[in-house]
Amino acid sequence: MNRLKTRLGKLHFESPVTVASGTFGTEYFDFFDQRILGAYVSKTITYEPKAGNPPPRLYETEAGLINSIGLQNPGIDVFIKSSLPELREKLYIPLVVSFSGSSITEFCAMLEMLEISEGIDGYEVNVSCPNVENEGIAFGTDPDTVFELTQKLSAITNKELIIKLSPNVSDIATIAIAAEAGGASSLALINTLFGMAIDIETGKSRIKKGVGGYSGTGIKPVALALTYKAARAVKIPILAMGGIYTWQDALEFFYAGASMIALGTANFINPIAAAEAHHGLDVYLAQRDLRLKDIVGKVNG
Amino acid sequence: MKSYKILPIWRIERLKGGYFVLWIEDTELAAQCRPGQFCELKAPQGIPRLFKPISVFDVIQDRVAFFIKTVGAGTNALSVMREGDLLQVIGPLGTSFPIPNNKSIVLVSGGVGYPPLAFLKKHLPSSNQVRFLHGGACADDVFPCDECFTVDGSAGIKAFVTEGFMRLIETRHVDLVLSCGPVPMLKALSAICKANGIKHFASLEAYMACGVGVCHGCAVGVGSKGDYQRVCVEGPVFDADDLNWELM
Repeated sequence: MNRLKTRLGKLHFESPVTVASGTFGTEYFDFFDQRILGAYVSKTITYEPKAGNPPPRLYETEAGLINSIGLQNPGIDVFIKSSLPELREKLYIPLVVSFSGSSITEFCAMLEMLEISEGIDGYEVNVSCPNVENEGIAFGTDPDTVFELTQKLSAITNKELIIKLSPNVSDIATIAIAAEAGGASSLALINTLFGMAIDIETGKSRIKKGVGGYSGTGIKPVALALTYKAARAVKIPILAMGGIYTWQDALEFFYAGASMIALGTANFINPIAAAEAHHGLDVYLAQRDLRLKDIVGKVNG
Repeated sequence: MKSYKILPIWRIERLKGGYFVLWIEDTELAAQCRPGQFCELKAPQGIPRLFKPISVFDVIQDRVAFFIKTVGAGTNALSVMREGDLLQVIGPLGTSFPIPNNKSIVLVSGGVGYPPLAFLKKHLPSSNQVRFLHGGACADDVFPCDECFTVDGSAGIKAFVTEGFMRLIETRHVDLVLSCGPVPMLKALSAICKANGIKHFASLEAYMACGVGVCHGCAVGVGSKGDYQRVCVEGPVFDADDLNWELM
């Protein structure tokens, strides 16, 4: 019996462990069997190619990582013509494509292009990346915009439509409800928090753009609280991420209401973190004769 | 193909000035490592930390050496490990230096840029004429080479290694420069090579998260159009003419 089976809206998965967009590549399959993952989430693509932000782009803090990659990617045309066939060649697990646009029109145009492409099982709509100006983040912070965007996207596809929310909002429940009302079949949260570090010898920010996206162990309590709040506000399932490094971390998110979890920065710290999380969850559930769905959202108090 | 392994430390050699050489034993890794390539290394620690990219310093039979300077939390954790302790290793990673024949070659390193060039020197065919220049801040930063330079004059010649290189090319024809060191040194060296029509390949150091090409965190500017390439995949060895030194 597979105790770890789960689902996100329209998709059923053999494992509740996946990976956060931009933190994982097929390169990691040199280190473990990909089938321990429920799905593969691609790095976010944009309509036009993006060179990304100037370096330095990374700084490791006492409790996590600040990054300012800037969605470096080759653009949707190259993704569809080159990256997508390569991914389908290599993957035995469902593929979720993450994408981000600079306007509702652009988001819709991208989804239409992806819809006529082979080998995509679902979409993660990134309305929450903090590293690009005038993109993403503006969509993720306004409930009316999230509703309108989701409504238009859901009219284009019957595939799994995951709206990825930003933690940098005052009320995650309002945004989550707007996405659900617009037709999202599931939610992903959280993206990175705003973060900064300064070199006191020079007075300069550790990363070139000043403020970046903060991920890793330091954001886990925030991610957990937002998962809990969102899960209580909506009926659609949640893919949770934010500082999950171990199976114990993952369990907290399932209890808080997540149906699936993603490892992000953890992949950099431990390249077999996803495999270890999968194994640990399996043992935990077996020892208690439970299935994953028995604990989702069952936090006490 | 790169691999992720947990390997016992075979030997640690403590050197001066916070430098140490860490040896591991692995037949597969030893067979694959080429001069210029690096591995991601990590010591087991109480708090989760990123791996540290460390150049391959030497390969003898089935043993691989890494020459490391203690500079921060990650390298400090490596420095306090003991023989037999388990080390996490991802590698080998990145590109390697070109291995030419029948050339007049100068190797130029600065500080912790020394190890990959020391390894490269062992691999260069004897048909080449090779001169190895190394520079550091002080005597603690100086290691075996043909000519060394220190900023404070405590060992070798009191000068920047780039000044030594300029003097060298006044008296000797040079086809190719292969270098590794801090960006200001590499940038100056690149300008000298360009002005004198000398081919130059530089190995860059960069802050990295994944080391395998996923995160794009270690990107450096290439060309004049504001494009970026990853030090961990397209590098660390680059044709210096391709790099946009103004973006460094």
